[in-house]
Amino acid sequence: MTSPSPSFLRIGRQQWQDTWAGVRAVAPLMPGAILFGLAFGALIRVAGINAWVGNFASVSVVAGASQIAIVEQLRAGAPAAIAVLTALVINARFALYSAALAPVFEAFPARWRLGLAHLMTDQSAVVALQHSPRWPDPVRRRWFIWGSSGPFVAVWAMGTAAGIALGPVIPDSWQIGFIVPLMFLAVLVPGLRDSPALVAVAVSVGVVLLGKELPYGLNVLLGALAGIAAGAMVPRRAAAHDDANEDPENPPTGSEASL
Amino acid sequence: MTAFLVFTFAAIGTYLIRLSGISLLGGDRDLPPAVTRALNLVGPAAMAAIVANSLLLDGTEWRALGAWHLAAVVATGVALWKRTMGVTIAAGAVAFAALLLAGL
Repeated sequence: MTSPSPSFLRIGRQQWQDTWAGVRAVAPLMPGAILFGLAFGALIRVAGINAWVGNFASVSVVAGASQIAIVEQLRAGAPAAIAVLTALVINARFALYSAALAPVFEAFPARWRLGLAHLMTDQSAVVALQHSPRWPDPVRRRWFIWGSSGPFVAVWAMGTAAGIALGPVIPDSWQIGFIVPLMFLAVLVPGLRDSPALVAVAVSVGVVLLGKELPYGLNVLLGALAGIAAGAMVPRRAAAHDDANEDPENPPTGSEASL
Repeated sequence: MTAFLVFTFAAIGTYLIRLSGISLLGGDRDLPPAVTRALNLVGPAAMAAIVANSLLLDGTEWRALGAWHLAAVVATGVALWKRTMGVTIAAGAVAFAALLLAGL
């Protein structure tokens, strides 16, 4: 943004800069979204689903795990209503992000809230939650969140289009499924410091593993809920000193702390 | 046609889910501190659930111990050390590729 002009496309320079800050915050996750899009696109092709329908799915549902589940249900000959319900159960976790983002979105105009809601993904929601304390100005904040969610959805959609066009070009032996835990570890671990969050993580993992036989990814939803409930009961200060991962001399500060 | 309708209904339902909390908890009001505390844990709890489900499980079975676990340990270690997302992903991806090439 070195242009001296005050605006481009009738969007001010400051807004472009804040958008760009959002893009940079989410950029490390973009290769993962492209790979995941490629995998979904290839699945669409293998399943013999119309290419336009496959692309439509990625820009309308915007939730990869549920889209894969729909394709698998359709391939297995499940009734359409079951396929829809399965997807909605898998996506129920978005209600949690939505609740957490309510105070973050509070001061935005309605059209921004409605638009940004559609662009909510696991990754962009958590990036928005982690960064919003550093964007107290609601106008600058909404441009940051737009930057960290819009282009992320765009690369996901482009990955899907490429996957549909190319088919299964990535060999199975590469096991690109590993990108899923890797992306979420990278979002989770760097910001992990206080005791309530550590308890939430431990309980969440435990419940997910205990519920491994549950269908429709219900163990993920229950794990997240149990983690939130358990962590909320832990006082923020009291347990800090007995935590091996805490460094009381070095409280989180500055911009890199929760990245 | 069935696929199109299924994706359309899933999209509408998912959008309503995405809008739910923003609409119900939004507006000019102060949330009780207990609710705020709980909402602050949504990110860590959900991320941990997805990691556990995709890393330690394979469908309803345990994932066989191997490159996935080792590369995840490397990524976690680097994440705790560097505290940045990009370096974590790069380290995890390099470790995973190396482990696969090594035949794990």
